[in-house]
Amino acid sequence: MQSFEEIDFFSDNSLTYDPQPYFEYLRSKGPAVRLPQRGVVAVTGYDEGLAIFRNEERYSSYNAAYGPNPLPFEPVGDDITDQIASNRGDRSTFNMISTYDPPDHTRLRLLLKGLLTPKRLLENEQFMWRLADGMIDEFIGQGSMEFISGFAGPFATLVVADLLGVPEEDHKKFRRIFTEAGMRLGSIDGVPPQESNPLTRITGHFYEYIEDRRKNPRKDVMTDLALTKYPDGSLASVDDIVNLSAFLFAAGQETTVRVMAAMLMFLCEDPALQARLRAERSLIPNFIEETLRMEGTVKTGFRLNKVQTEIGGVELDPGTPLMLVISAMNRDPAKFESPHEFRPDRSNAREHLAFGRGIHACIGAPLARAELKVTLERMFDQTSDIRFDEAKHGPAGSRKLDYVPSYQARGLAELHIVHDAKA
Amino acid sequence: MATITFIESDGTAHAIEAKCGWSIMENATKNGVPGIVAECGGSQTCGTCRIYVSAEWQTKMDSPTADEVSIIEFAEDRTPGARLSCQIEMKEHLDGLIVRMPEKQYSM
Repeated sequence: MQSFEEIDFFSDNSLTYDPQPYFEYLRSKGPAVRLPQRGVVAVTGYDEGLAIFRNEERYSSYNAAYGPNPLPFEPVGDDITDQIASNRGDRSTFNMISTYDPPDHTRLRLLLKGLLTPKRLLENEQFMWRLADGMIDEFIGQGSMEFISGFAGPFATLVVADLLGVPEEDHKKFRRIFTEAGMRLGSIDGVPPQESNPLTRITGHFYEYIEDRRKNPRKDVMTDLALTKYPDGSLASVDDIVNLSAFLFAAGQETTVRVMAAMLMFLCEDPALQARLRAERSLIPNFIEETLRMEGTVKTGFRLNKVQTEIGGVELDPGTPLMLVISAMNRDPAKFESPHEFRPDRSNAREHLAFGRGIHACIGAPLARAELKVTLERMFDQTSDIRFDEAKHGPAGSRKLDYVPSYQARGLAELHIVHDAKA
Repeated sequence: MATITFIESDGTAHAIEAKCGWSIMENATKNGVPGIVAECGGSQTCGTCRIYVSAEWQTKMDSPTADEVSIIEFAEDRTPGARLSCQIEMKEHLDGLIVRMPEKQYSM
């Protein structure tokens, strides 16, 4: 194995199982450190990272999806704001809401906010309880299952489908679209071909829905979506609505699914903790926060600094890509005591940065929290015990768990469990 | 320029030079005022940027919208004068504004 000094975090598969020793090595160099590869500056300090998240004026999200790849332009001068604006082209990598800066970002964010009103979120949570019951009924009699494909994946898809008002008779169609889709976020071992990108098929359906509802409005959520207005009162473009809808499916899929699996993994690893949570359900919310802190899905996020600046003692020229190592910030010992210990009653667990902060903070965070809570509550309601399937993952002491190969996503590739149905 | 003073629940005051056009929340987070978490960054979904504004100052501001009220209710904060600081834009006529902050922004 290569030394940490030589290792390329963006292509080396040896770090996917447990990246924390590498992140601790980075931390030992300071809260921010320039990596020898690709000119990227990695930020592991909680305070430093939080300050970057909250300063969209100095740090652009241009490279949020593009990651550590070489910029398509040569930064010139002491402020590259204009260069960023003129180098987006029509590549989707530079044209998602997560990559925009104000004012384009502000316009879309307000549109998105309109889709996630407190009322809509409450209705959606009611749907989650019904959905979880129905889906658990599908596998409860089998005694064992692969949790990600058998529950978490389709559950996350259908929750977003309901949120956006996809008619229930079409839910089966949406479930199929995502069943065989590959992982794409920051993939190390190659990105699946474009034709298998589920989002292309999702946008197709949404163009049909939106055009139909504009012609034939009815009393349903999809009609509300079709008639969404910009803050100035004008009707939103069909393209914006369709792209934001597809974005919500993408953003609410992988992220939620991997944390759901992590949550069950911690409970399989620690039967005493599982028993305690089953007996004291009020502990569940903080347990979820601690799971997010320890095993949040978004391992790293990217920003591009626009002007000459300094972070954690490192001088940054305009155009330096910054990698916010969220998984490391969430284990900063200056913020979290004994940061590598899983403590379900940690008092400041919720101050983790798993959902980011600032203008790009995950707008679906309340949705994700509800999904995690509903899943765990219903799994507890319908089972008396959940444990690792040792035929697949091996016995305690020599557990075999595979993680997705990605420099951006963190999470189990599969989680096979054995469960006892409640009598 | 105008000033805002944020007061923590233990009485610690933080006076900042505020920027008009920014929300009260942005003025707090960009100046590192502790106590304003603002998880959702101003999208009015998290209720973690709550402040308490006296009746006198409230008369100089727009009233909260129904969505803002429901988020505050959801946070189970019944303190009089509770507002979301992300929903109030700083303006010249609010110069000298004093707001108080809760002990915790999370109910759990």
